[in-house]
Amino acid sequence: MSEKVKIGFYALTSCYGCQLQFAMMDEVLQLLDKANIECWFMVERDSDEDREVDIAFIEGSVSTEEEVELVKKIREKAKIVIAVGSCAIHGGVQSWGKDKGLSELWKKVYGESHVKFEPKMAEPVEKYIKVDYKLYGCPPEKKDFLYALGTFLVGSWPEDIDYPVCVECRIKGNPCILIEKGEPCLGPLTVAGCDARCPGFNVACIGCRGAVGYDVAWFDSLALEFKKKGLTKEEILERMKIFNAHNPKLEEMVNKIFEEGE
Amino acid sequence: MYIPITVDHIARVEGKGGIEIVTSDEGVKEVKLNIIEGPRFFEAITIGKKLDEALAIYPRVCSFCSAAHKLTALEAAEKAVGFTPRPEIQDLRDLLYIGDMIESHALHLYLLVLPDYLGYSNPLAMVDKYKKEIEYAMALKNIGSKTMDYLGSRAIHQENAILGGFGKLPTKRQFEELKRELKEVLPMAEYTVELFAKLEQYKEVKDEEMVHMAVKPRNDVYGIYGDYIKVSDGFEFPVEDYKKYIVEKVVEHSFAKHSFYKDKPFMVGAISRIVNNADLLYGKAKELYSQYKDLLRYDNCFANNFAQALELVYFVERAIDIIDDTLAKWPIKERDEVELKDGFGVSITEAPRGLLVYALEVKDGKVNYADIITPTAMNLAIMERHVRLMAEKHWQDDPEKLKLLAEMTVRAYDPCISCSVHVVKL
Repeated sequence: MSEKVKIGFYALTSCYGCQLQFAMMDEVLQLLDKANIECWFMVERDSDEDREVDIAFIEGSVSTEEEVELVKKIREKAKIVIAVGSCAIHGGVQSWGKDKGLSELWKKVYGESHVKFEPKMAEPVEKYIKVDYKLYGCPPEKKDFLYALGTFLVGSWPEDIDYPVCVECRIKGNPCILIEKGEPCLGPLTVAGCDARCPGFNVACIGCRGAVGYDVAWFDSLALEFKKKGLTKEEILERMKIFNAHNPKLEEMVNKIFEEGE
Repeated sequence: MYIPITVDHIARVEGKGGIEIVTSDEGVKEVKLNIIEGPRFFEAITIGKKLDEALAIYPRVCSFCSAAHKLTALEAAEKAVGFTPRPEIQDLRDLLYIGDMIESHALHLYLLVLPDYLGYSNPLAMVDKYKKEIEYAMALKNIGSKTMDYLGSRAIHQENAILGGFGKLPTKRQFEELKRELKEVLPMAEYTVELFAKLEQYKEVKDEEMVHMAVKPRNDVYGIYGDYIKVSDGFEFPVEDYKKYIVEKVVEHSFAKHSFYKDKPFMVGAISRIVNNADLLYGKAKELYSQYKDLLRYDNCFANNFAQALELVYFVERAIDIIDDTLAKWPIKERDEVELKDGFGVSITEAPRGLLVYALEVKDGKVNYADIITPTAMNLAIMERHVRLMAEKHWQDDPEKLKLLAEMTVRAYDPCISCSVHVVKL
């Protein structure tokens, strides 16, 4: 690329962790002679959401009507749209309470008060616009950013990850938290790329990178395993929904296990 | 006819917020800090959820202080179920928390605040002329991140701090490596103090009525944990009484509830910790405190930045001490079993930007009640007052200058707007 690539980083409703991860990369400094930052409020006072960009990174879930308009605007102005992190891709942990409904959640936290924005139940960006690429994780790993950015900068296209955390856990040689310790590890259905970070610390995966796509996430076989270990259907659904509340297959596949077993 | 001065989206803070200043011929009429983030309902969504799963998501309130949220929630949960961690585990939690402090202070000071003083719109533009400063910022940030990587599994949203202790502890070699690197950055932390001592601290914004709140440090160790809250007027109260003294109120001109202590706004954060507990500083931090005492003004919110610089020195030294103690006690068992009895627990700790409250009730292994009050929620009222003081001083100046000064006032507090809005009751 002869001209500098124009980059925008936009935040919807989130913890700002994906941007923070990006900002904390020493490698961002090396990017400077190759890129112009058109919009990135976390670091640039001169930011403008209306400028055209080559690559738009969007973090956060769509949680207000204003954010619906913002993502549409970003799509119009950007050549490539990357959904960054669990909120933008899967609606984030704020979708965990989806079953309770917006008005109940609102009442519990905000009482009878109103604010000037129009709140919505959190939703993934893809519900409103076409997303070209996804960086999984809560937050994504630094290497996720580097791989995507590096690939785009040389004019190529990054591969999507289509295998689960279990693969990386086996490669690292970690003891299996699910089989050996009997804990409800979500490694078998969660998108890999974190190098099995949590199981490497003896902590069961909570699925922060979301379920593997292409309709191959095995909610059913993992649910069967959890059921054998004594977990109830509700417990299984709750755990799987922390980062997958919007997955259309989840409930159906878990239900299947319990119906067949009864 | 005056056009309102508005900053739609305050840059270089965490979260989305705006400032609105309305003036007339007589002066400043209205000052508003607007919060434009969407809701996330953290308290409501975790009710009825399993305790360990809720504890895994509380850090997600905020990335800049995820370790603070994790560790404060953990302490509240352990208090609720009647568990006390072993002292060596508590020390290592302190170390994880200190990683957050170092990273957060370094990022805030160098990348979010310094560009204003040096006349840049973003920190990346400073690279050519201020190479050393950017290198120091990165090195300090990196050691904070590494401490969180080793103790917490990663720098953002740590999963390795769990009920009863840790999933896995770093190896002896990793502790030694951390210690070596902490020693290397200590001079950089000291440089940060010298650097911020030289910057103009906007002394013109003086608030004679300033009240500071901070924890009364447990075991007299300056820093993070405490069972009482100390107010700069001399009053103290147990953390369990937080609702009596940190009173949230609806105010006419703001969408977010503001916090008051005895009907007055109060400040929390690094400067509040220094104001209340400077006598507990030791080592290099104590020397630098004595040298620069005059700059650590209790009546000026901008002194918060200088206090953060001083704390960088303190926390680097304190981290080295914890590692020495840990290695002396080696090997350490990483975790104890925790029985999930029913109960209620309150924890208030010092997050990088001030007091963080978690109150959790546990019933049948699940969260039955949750109340979270974040530092920024507490600071909103006084932050707005100080933006007003700044505006009253500069309302006739060039609007661009006033905008910058108003933004700088907000940035001095190191606000976490995501934090405040997602949990504050509007």
